Amino acid sequence: MQRQALGGADTFMMKIEAIIQPSRFESVKDALREIGIEGMTVTEVRGHGRQKGHTEVYRGREYTVDLLPKLKLEMVLPDPLVQRAVDTILKTAKTGKIGDGKIFLSRVEEAIRIRNEERGENAL
Amino acid sequence: MPGSLTPLSVLGPLAEDERQRIRQQFEAGGSAQDTLRSLCELADRTAQKIFGEVLRVNNAELQGLTLVALGGYGRRLLFPYSDLDILFLFGSEKAEAEFRPLIADFSRTLWDLGFRVSSAGRTLDECKRIEEDNAEFHLALLDRRFLGGDEELFERLTKKILVGPEKQARPFMLAELTKLTKERHARYGNTIYHLEPNVKDAPGGLRDYQAAAWLRQIANGQKDGWKNSAGEEELAANAVDFLSAIRCFLHYSNGRNDNTLTYELQTAAAERSLGVADGAARDAKRSPEEWMRLYFRQARILNRLLLRYIEQKPAAQPTFRERFFSAARGARGDVGKGKSFAVRDGLLEVLDEPALSDRAVTFALFTEAARTGIPLSREAERAIFYILKHPELPQKNTQVNWSMLREILAADYPSMALRPMQRLSLLMDVLLEFKAIDSLVVRDFYHRYTVDEHSLRTIEHLQELADPPDERAAHFKQLWKTVDRRDLLILALLLHDVGKGMAVENHVTGSLEALQSAAARLRLSVYETDEVHFLIEHHLDMSATVQRRDIFDPGTVSVFADAVATQERLQRLCLMTYADIHAVNPEALTPWKAEMLWQLFVATSNHFSRTLDRDRLHASDEVPLLEQVSSQAGGANKAEVERFLEGFPRRYRAVHSAPEIAAHFQLYQKLGAEPVQTELKARHHSFSLTLLTADRPALFATISGVLAGWGMNIVKADAFANAAGVVLDTFQFVDLHHTLELNPSEIARFQKSLADTVNGKAPLEPQLKGRESASKAKPPKVAVETRIGYDDTSSAHSTLLEIMVQDRPGLLYDVGSALARLGCNIDVALIDTEGQKAIDVFYLTERGKKLSQQKQELLQEVLQSTLS
Repeated sequence: MQRQALGGADTFMMKIEAIIQPSRFESVKDALREIGIEGMTVTEVRGHGRQKGHTEVYRGREYTVDLLPKLKLEMVLPDPLVQRAVDTILKTAKTGKIGDGKIFLSRVEEAIRIRNEERGENAL
Repeated sequence: MPGSLTPLSVLGPLAEDERQRIRQQFEAGGSAQDTLRSLCELADRTAQKIFGEVLRVNNAELQGLTLVALGGYGRRLLFPYSDLDILFLFGSEKAEAEFRPLIADFSRTLWDLGFRVSSAGRTLDECKRIEEDNAEFHLALLDRRFLGGDEELFERLTKKILVGPEKQARPFMLAELTKLTKERHARYGNTIYHLEPNVKDAPGGLRDYQAAAWLRQIANGQKDGWKNSAGEEELAANAVDFLSAIRCFLHYSNGRNDNTLTYELQTAAAERSLGVADGAARDAKRSPEEWMRLYFRQARILNRLLLRYIEQKPAAQPTFRERFFSAARGARGDVGKGKSFAVRDGLLEVLDEPALSDRAVTFALFTEAARTGIPLSREAERAIFYILKHPELPQKNTQVNWSMLREILAADYPSMALRPMQRLSLLMDVLLEFKAIDSLVVRDFYHRYTVDEHSLRTIEHLQELADPPDERAAHFKQLWKTVDRRDLLILALLLHDVGKGMAVENHVTGSLEALQSAAARLRLSVYETDEVHFLIEHHLDMSATVQRRDIFDPGTVSVFADAVATQERLQRLCLMTYADIHAVNPEALTPWKAEMLWQLFVATSNHFSRTLDRDRLHASDEVPLLEQVSSQAGGANKAEVERFLEGFPRRYRAVHSAPEIAAHFQLYQKLGAEPVQTELKARHHSFSLTLLTADRPALFATISGVLAGWGMNIVKADAFANAAGVVLDTFQFVDLHHTLELNPSEIARFQKSLADTVNGKAPLEPQLKGRESASKAKPPKVAVETRIGYDDTSSAHSTLLEIMVQDRPGLLYDVGSALARLGCNIDVALIDTEGQKAIDVFYLTERGKKLSQQKQELLQEVLQSTLS
């Protein structure tokens, strides 16, 4: 399939959304920085897939965490960098247990830097 | 056509040249006041010229239209990029219709010349009405100044039209201005200590000074307490000069009306010693942090000046009724040391100002504020400030000791004392180390406030837990209510970031050094110093664990629990972490983070209660402890100390200091002579009993029974045994009938009764009968559901029994008896109370093994029946 970004460029931009265990964040961030990826958005989120919730009883009260705390990382990268970034996240975020999280990829139509209105990959 | 307007191509450069000249003068070191006046004069000349030309070109008469300068422009203080606030005053509606097109020309021309006009139009009749939804307009009108046009119209406005309405509207205007000020302050977190403050609108900014001036003007001399001394006026004038210079600098640097003193501009301002008067002080090199301290000093002056009016109800003239009954009222209201202060209108007022020269009286006043949550009045603060600024006045008790400070820190509202102490610089007198972070700016994009402000906010966030403001705080409320030694936690919060003001690489190291110095000066005990040391040293641990570790992994919890060691420390550390994160900025403690913090607390707390019998002391490994105990016990034989300690749960070591363990050892040494040893100590509102004896059946039940028989309500207890079967039980109880408090001679009888009953020399049942009916009298305020649960997995050796039930006197005896009747041996017991809820954990064995399923079921049945 011919893939062509707006403006006729040969490559395009992809958004990586990674839901990871909070305890893996520092390692993931450091590893991404080592491969030259520094910009990302981090959000505190809660959720669950197959991983069951967690219940503790304290002084007679149950504290159940159905939606487990995770961190969501979002970054938009030029296509050539995407695979490397995904591999890095996979390598550093993995513990091998249920609850490690997921990575989603989606195409980005346009990116614009607010400060100087640069567009496309130059805005990344 | 009667002439035309002077072209913009002529006027524009003239105005711009003048602006540049004024700017250059300012940047060459000219005063802010000169700059503001010059800019105002430029605006006046330009506006008057344009206005005259517009009238001439349109063949219009002056009559019926007046230009009135308002607000800052009206006060002749115009900042470089501030708006020109102009009121177009019309004599009538007809005049308004006639002059509208001219006003459009006038405003447009001024805009083209670079003046931002912010205008309003009113007829003379419209000015008679006070617009209740537009208080800002009426406030701006207070600074009205004739600018041009019909002067007679302006005179009528000022001397006739506004006189009545402004007088009638005084209460409304005072209330509105107070409300607007409080809203403005709340938008900025009610603090002057922002890392990048807004020098106009934030507390301590120029708006505070103006609001105070307006309040005085509106009150028009009717508020007795609102006069400033000459010294205060001078201080305020200097502060205004300082902040005005900053605001001019910000406008010129930003090229717009942006009043935020950013980090970059702080550096630039410090380099040029902005706002500092000529002379040696101006030439001295200052870091941005040092220069910002100057800023906060000035901001404090303006803020304090305004708050005097905002927070204090003006002293009303007392009525006859009040005057006649004032003596009786005063006597009812009087509190405190020798009636030196009292509560009036919800504020702590000083009755005897000279008495404040005794620092003990001043501290009694602060303690009262901390205890009750009632704030000091501004007049009380002024009186204290006066005494501090006049050291020639005879002063006594100037050395503050730990017991005075401790009372404040342990109270329910410590910040009600600490805040005024900080404002008055008294906090730095008491805690010299706090000076290192006074108004200290430490630049990062996460913290919002100066370091001292952050520290005080941590304490306020804990105080708020008494009535949690939102869901984040809900879990932590109970922790705050039950935490042991609040004073140590608050002291730790005051000192935890002091290291940021010291020349150290790691601020924790600096803060720990500061603690050593404070502890030595205040003479904290070793235990107290150690506890505060722990909190400061580990104050980032819980946050780091939550962020970087899987808190649902038992391994993570175990490592963390090892570092914390005791439930008491865990509770204090959790509260400290909650407060520390919360005080960084209003958004820092997200519900997500609060939940994670709580989960780690719960997991660790459960780890402590479920692993008590796993971690036991191997005394031979505890060489430093053996030496300390041996030395404290008068050079006791170390082998004997080792035998005593061997096999006690680690918790025993964690919750008792070496001197306490030595005291227990000395009791242990006397067991040969007297097989039951007891030690009873009075504490704050309770007693602490330590009992040592050889283990025997139903021991726990017997002790609990004796206590119940004497009318004591057990609130906490630990029951431990060492490897040799020596039991060490500690009970904390409340003397419900004040028997021991009111009859000191009963203390010895109580201890003898306990020893005799445990020894089997005196029966228990008769002691219980007398109290039984009394204990059943009161219904509970809060109903607690009974929960009984077993845990067979946490301990390798014992079955854990966890009971949550309605607390009542005699409860522990009932539970202990049931256990004894069914042959259950208590290896370890942890007893606690939370309000009306008893929380008991027992590590049980039967013939050295865990309880069988059958025994568990039978015990469950018996307990349900006993406890229902």
